[in-house]
Amino acid sequence: MRFESMTEAIGNTPLVRIDPAVHGLHNIDLYAKMELLNPFGSLKDRAAWNMVRPLLTQAVESGDTVVELSSGNTAKALAVIAGMHGLTFKSVTNRMKVAEIKDLLLLLGAEIDELPGQAECLDPTDTDDPLTRMYHRLAGSSGGYLHTDQYFNELNVDAHLNGTGPEILKDLDGRVPDYFIACVGTAGSSTGVAAVLRQHNPDVRVVGLVAHKSDFIPGIRTIDEVHEVGLFDPDVYDTVETITADDAIDGLLTLVRRCGTLAGPTGGGAYQGAVRHLRGVDAQLTERRTAVFIVCDRVESYMSYLRERRPELFGRPPRRNSVRTVTDADVRQAATVDVAEAERWIAERRGLVVDLRSPFAYQALHIDGSINIVDELFAELLHGGLPFGRRQPVLLVCPVGEKSARYAALLTRMGHPDVRSLDGGIIAWRDAGAELVRD
Amino acid sequence: MPLHLAPQIDPTLRSALDETVLLTQLADAMGSPLGVVLPQQLAENVTAFRSVFSDHRLSGQIYYAHKANRSSALVRELAATDAGIDVASLAELQHAVGAGFVPQRIMATGPKNEEFLWLCARTGVTVSADSIGELAALATLVRDWSLPRVRVMARLSGFTSTGVQFNSRRSRFGVSAAAVGEVLDVIEKHVEALDLVGVAFHLDTIGLPEKAVALEGCLGALDECRRRGLRPWSVDIGGGFGVNYLADGAQWEQYTSALTEAVLGRRAPLTWNGHGYGLRAEGGHVRGSLNLYPAHRPVSGPAYLDRLLGTAAPEQRRPLGTLLLDNMYDLLVEPGRALLDQCGLVLASVLEVRDEANGDTIVRLDCNARDVSLEEHGVLMDPVVVHRTTPAAPGPAAVYLFGNLCLEADLITRRRVFLPSRPRPGDLLAFVNTAGYLMDFSATHALRQPIGRKVALYRDDGGWRWCLDEQYWPVHHRAEAP
Repeated sequence: MRFESMTEAIGNTPLVRIDPAVHGLHNIDLYAKMELLNPFGSLKDRAAWNMVRPLLTQAVESGDTVVELSSGNTAKALAVIAGMHGLTFKSVTNRMKVAEIKDLLLLLGAEIDELPGQAECLDPTDTDDPLTRMYHRLAGSSGGYLHTDQYFNELNVDAHLNGTGPEILKDLDGRVPDYFIACVGTAGSSTGVAAVLRQHNPDVRVVGLVAHKSDFIPGIRTIDEVHEVGLFDPDVYDTVETITADDAIDGLLTLVRRCGTLAGPTGGGAYQGAVRHLRGVDAQLTERRTAVFIVCDRVESYMSYLRERRPELFGRPPRRNSVRTVTDADVRQAATVDVAEAERWIAERRGLVVDLRSPFAYQALHIDGSINIVDELFAELLHGGLPFGRRQPVLLVCPVGEKSARYAALLTRMGHPDVRSLDGGIIAWRDAGAELVRD
Repeated sequence: MPLHLAPQIDPTLRSALDETVLLTQLADAMGSPLGVVLPQQLAENVTAFRSVFSDHRLSGQIYYAHKANRSSALVRELAATDAGIDVASLAELQHAVGAGFVPQRIMATGPKNEEFLWLCARTGVTVSADSIGELAALATLVRDWSLPRVRVMARLSGFTSTGVQFNSRRSRFGVSAAAVGEVLDVIEKHVEALDLVGVAFHLDTIGLPEKAVALEGCLGALDECRRRGLRPWSVDIGGGFGVNYLADGAQWEQYTSALTEAVLGRRAPLTWNGHGYGLRAEGGHVRGSLNLYPAHRPVSGPAYLDRLLGTAAPEQRRPLGTLLLDNMYDLLVEPGRALLDQCGLVLASVLEVRDEANGDTIVRLDCNARDVSLEEHGVLMDPVVVHRTTPAAPGPAAVYLFGNLCLEADLITRRRVFLPSRPRPGDLLAFVNTAGYLMDFSATHALRQPIGRKVALYRDDGGWRWCLDEQYWPVHHRAEAP
C-alpha cells in the first residue's frame, strides 16, 4: 500500500470474528468492525476528515481555525488534520475528563477551552447549553473559524453511509448482518451504518447503547444527553439499552486480554452490550445468525480512567523504604527538637536542614541555610537508599512537624543514627517569631 | 408512576418533624407561613467543617454567610461556637455585633456604602474589599476619622490558566488577578491605614478545576505580597460548598429523565404550562440546559471542601491543601447554604384542596413563592405532609402548589408535586431543609401579605422547646425541676 497522505489510510478497516469460545454464543457469529485501526486511532477519523475536506481549501486560504465541541476522538482527529494543513485547532469542551486525551491534544498543538462549570447560585437567565454558548462565541468573533459541528453535520453520518456501512456489507459477502450494535455518541456512525444495512435488509435489528445516567463512559452519551444530539433519531434504533462504566471496562478487558484487540471503553461497552443483548436471543435460535459491533478506539488513552475505576488492575509490588510503612509507634520513637533547640542547632551549623515543603513555598519563605527537597521527591530518593551519609546530621522540616517526623522515623529505620524532626514544623517556627528569609 | 423527590432528612430534623402536635399548635398560634430554625444543628455543622480543617492540618476560620437567613437565633447560637460570620450589609454587621461576635470574628464582604465601611473601620472588623476604589475610600475614612489601622482582604477574580483554558463566568466582584500589583500599590501607599491580611476569591460554580485555578492564582498573588515585604497569611476561598437536598439519587435521575421526555412531548407535562426548567424542544431535539440546582449532590458541604483541598494545583501539581500548609497560610471559608444544612423548615397551611375538571389537583397554601423560595433557587424537593388527623385519601397525590398572591405566576413550584398522601384543608406542608436561602431570603410584603414569623426549636432537658426567633439565646437551659 502506497499513499500520498495519512488521510488516505482512513477507512477500510478489517471486520474480525470474535472467537466463540470467548463470547459463548452458540448460534451467532459475532464480528467486530475494527475502527481502532484508523490512522489517528478511532472511528472519528472518518467523520472528521469527511466534514473538514470540502472546506479545507477555503480555510487554508483564509487561515481559519478549526473549532469543534469535543473532548475526545473527534478533537484528536481534527487536531491532526488541521496540523497537516497548517491550521490551528481549538477544542471547546465542558470538562474534558480524561487526562491523557487532554495531554495528547496539547501535544498535537491544539488549544483547549473549558467552559465554566454549573453555577452554585441559580441564575435563571443562564439557560444556554454548551453548544449554544459556542455558537454565540463563534457568532461574536469576527470570523476565521471552520466549525465542523459534528452533532448536527450530515457529513458525519455521510462518512459512515459511504464508508463504514458498505465496508461491513462487502466483508460479509453482501449479506446484511442480523444484528448491529453500536454505542451512541454523536449518533453519526450508528445512523449511517444502520441506514445502509436497512436499505439492503429492512429486518436488521439495530441496538443503540447509551451510558447509565450517573456513569461516565468516554464517547458515549447518557439517555438524556442523546436528546441534545442533532443527528440522534430514536427511530434508527429498534431498542436503546443502557450500559454502565463497569460493563464497559469488563468488555474492554475481554477484548484486550482475549481477543487481541486493544479497545477503549467504548469498544468494550459495545462488546459487553452486544453479548448481553445477543445472549437473550441466542437460546431461542435454531439457525445461524450474524451480528456486528464497532470497536471505536484504542485503550492507551484511558489509563487514568481505568486506574481510577479499577486500581486493582494496576497492583504493583510495594517499593522498599516506603514512608507508608512507617507505623505510629515508629513515629513516636523519632527524635524531635523544639524551635528554641532547633535555632541553636542551626546557629551552631551542626548539620543539614532539609525543608520538605513545595519549592514554591520554600522560595517564598524558609529557614536560612536550609535546602529544599519536596516530600514526594524525598520519598522517591529514599526508595533507592539514604541520600546522605550516616555521619551527616540532619534536621527535617515540614509545615506542622507531622511529615518530618514520619520521614525521621523512616531514616532511623534505614540506619541513619542522627536525624531529627522540627516539632510543630515551620508554622511553630514562624509563630515563635524565629527568622524566615527569602532570597 | 409517582415521581417523588424525597428530601434528605437527618435524625435531628426528623425528630423535630415528628412533633406534629407542637408544629400544628405553633402554626395555629403564629400563622402561616412559619419559619422554624434549629440553631443547635448549626453548631454541629460548624464542627463538621472544622474536622476537614484538622484532617488537612490547616488552621483558619469558618465564616457563616449571614445572608443565607435573617434569623437571630442562628447567629446567636453561632456566636457561642468558635466560628466567624460574614456580613454583607450594615444591618447584618450590627446584628452580628449585637449577637456577641467580637470584630476579630467578623468579615465584611460584598458591595458597601460609606456608612457600612465606616462602621467596619470603627468596630475593627476585617474588610474584604471588592475594588481598588473601596480600599482607597476605606483609607480615607481611617485617616479622616483617625481610626486604627483596618485589617483588609483583597478579593480577586479573572484568574487565568496555562495550557488548558478554564473559563469562568464573569463576576461583578473583585479585582482582576492580573492587576494585583495595583492593589498592593494602594496598600503600600496607605500602609498606616490598611493592614493586608490576605487575598480572597469566590467563584459561583460547582466546578473544582476553576476553583483550583483561582486558589493557585491566590498563592501567586500572596507570593507577590511576600516579594514586596508584605506578610498576609490568609486565603479566603468563599463558599459554594453546596447541600445535598435529596435522599435518593435514583429519584433525581428518574425525574430529570422524565422532564427531558416531557419537554420533547414524549410524555404528559410534569409542570405547570409545560415549563421546561431551561430545557426546550427544537425540531425534536432538546436545547438549553437544565436550569436547576443539582439537588442530589453526594459530595457537598464539608466533603466538597475536603475534595477541593485534595485537588492538585494545575501548575504546581500538589494538592491545594498541602500547598496552603506548605506556605503556612490560614484557610478562610464562607459557607452559607452548607452551614445551614438541616437547620430548619417552613410550615405552610393548606387552605384548599380541589380537583379540576381536567384531572389536575390543586393545593392552595397560605404562603407564596417568596416565603419558600425553592423555585427561585431552582431546588426541586418534595414537602412533607403534616396531617392533623388522617390523610384525605390513601396513596400518593399529584398536585400543583398554588401560593397566596393574586398573581398567575405564584406557584410554590411549577412542578407537579407527588405528595405521599393527600392533605385536607388545615393540614400543614413542611418544606424541610430550607434554612439556607430558601426561607426568608426573598420574603416581601407584596399585597400587604405578612412575612412569616420565625421560631427557634431546640432540645433541652431531653425534649423539644421553642421560643420566638428573636427571644432565643444560647443560654436557654432551664433550672432542673426539684
